[in-house]
Amino acid sequence: MKALFLRQSGAGYLLVSLLVASLSLMYIELSRPWLNGFRASVASALSPVYFLANLPSESSDWVDSTISTRGALQARVSVLERRVLELSQASQQYLAVREENGRLRALLGSRERLGRDVLVAEIVGVLPGVDRHQVMIDKGTWDGLRDGLAVIDEHGMVGQVVETASSSARVLLVSDVSHAMPVQVVRNNLRGIVTGSGQLDLLQLDYIPDSADIREGDVLVSSGLAGRFPSGYPVGVVSAVTKGNGEAFAQVQARPSAQLDRSRHVLVLFANETDAPTEAPAPTPANSTATVANPGAGL
Amino acid sequence: MNPTNGGWAILLSLIVALIFAVMHLPEWWPQWLGWLRPNWVLLTVFFWVLAVPQRFGLVAAWLLGIVCDVLYGEPLGLNGALFAVFTYITWSIYERLRMFGALQQAILLFFMVLLAEGVRMLGLLLLIERGAQFGFVVIALASALMWPLVRVLLEHLETACRVR
Repeated sequence: MKALFLRQSGAGYLLVSLLVASLSLMYIELSRPWLNGFRASVASALSPVYFLANLPSESSDWVDSTISTRGALQARVSVLERRVLELSQASQQYLAVREENGRLRALLGSRERLGRDVLVAEIVGVLPGVDRHQVMIDKGTWDGLRDGLAVIDEHGMVGQVVETASSSARVLLVSDVSHAMPVQVVRNNLRGIVTGSGQLDLLQLDYIPDSADIREGDVLVSSGLAGRFPSGYPVGVVSAVTKGNGEAFAQVQARPSAQLDRSRHVLVLFANETDAPTEAPAPTPANSTATVANPGAGL
Repeated sequence: MNPTNGGWAILLSLIVALIFAVMHLPEWWPQWLGWLRPNWVLLTVFFWVLAVPQRFGLVAAWLLGIVCDVLYGEPLGLNGALFAVFTYITWSIYERLRMFGALQQAILLFFMVLLAEGVRMLGLLLLIERGAQFGFVVIALASALMWPLVRVLLEHLETACRVR
C-alpha cells in the first residue's frame, strides 16, 4: 500500500499522467484490437461479481418456485402440458413444411438452409443503468462463443454478443440505442433497419419511405442482409406508423418480439459457416441436384 | 494482531460496492427503482479518502476505475480518469470535508457525482455514441441521499476492523 501513497508534491503530476494513460487507453481501444484480451481476462476475473450481483433475483426466483401451493403447481403443469401438445402439433407441421421447403429450394437451385446449431445460455446479469440494454450470459469462449453471434429467445431476436470472456459474454439487446439491424416486413418483403430506442418495449424502424406500404401489425423479421444476423427470425411487430408530417421518412415504431425484460434463458445461434464442432456439411450448389433426389425418394 | 491495518476491510467494502453497482433487481420489484441507482463505488471511495487519505491513493482509484470500465462495458480508461480526478478533488479538500456534517457532505457529493456522471455520459456519447439522457442527475441525487447511510455503515466497518 506504501506505493499508493499520495504525496502532496507529486500528486498533480501523478493525476496528469493517469489522465494521459486513460486517454491513450481509450484511443488504443477505439482504433486497435490490442486491449480485447486484457478486457476479456479482467471480465473473466470479475465474473464472481456478476454471479453475486445476480443472487437476490435468483434467490427470489428460487423462493417463488419452491414455495408454491399445490394448486398453483397443478395449474402450471396443465398449462405446460397444453403447451407441449400445441408445440408438438406445430412441429409435426414444421417437419412437413421443412421437407417441402427443402424440395422447392432445391428445385430453384439455391442452397438449402440448414438448421443452426444453438446453445442455451442463462442470463446471469443485467448491466447497470436503465438506459443501457446489455445483459451478461453464462457462456463464453470456452463454449465456442465469439463476438457478433445472434441471440434469440423463444419469441424472437434478443440481440447479439458484443464481448466474450472465457465463461461469460455480454449481449447487446436490440432495444439499446446503439443497436441497429436489417429487417424486412414479412407481408411484402419491404426492407428497413430497426434501431433500439432505449426503451425495452419499443423499437424504431428507420428509412421507410413515406409512401411505403407498412401498417400496424406487420411482422418484422431479420433479413440477414448484413451477414451478421441469420435471416427469418422475428424481431418485432409494428405498433405505430406516423406518415405525412413533411418528413422524407415515415416514423414507424415496433414492439420487440422477444421478451427483453423477462427472459431468463436465451439461445445463442451459431453461424453456419463456422467450424462449430457438430456441424453437418453444407451442400454446395454443385450437388443441389442430389438434394433434389433425396426428398423425391422420400415421397 | 492487525497486520494489514484493515486493508482487507477497504477491499471488501469496494467489492461489495462493485456488486451493488451491477445488482440485478428481482423482476417483481418496481421498475423505477432501477433509476434510483446511486454510484456505490464513488460513495465508497469518497468515504475511504476522507477516513484514511494516506491509504487510498490515485493509482488505486484509477485501477478501480479500470475495473469499473470492464464491469460496465465502457471504454477502458473513462471511469479510470473520472475516479482519479474524483479522488484528487476529495483528497485535496478532505480536511475541510471531515468537519462537515453528513448533510453538508451529501450536498457536496451531489455536485461531485453530478460532475463525474455528466462527464461520463459525455464521454460515452463521444466515444461509443450512446444517447444522452438525464439519468445522471438522478444518479447524483440518489448518491447524495444514500450518503448518510453509507457513512454510518462504513464507519462501523472502520471501527470494527481498526482501519488506520
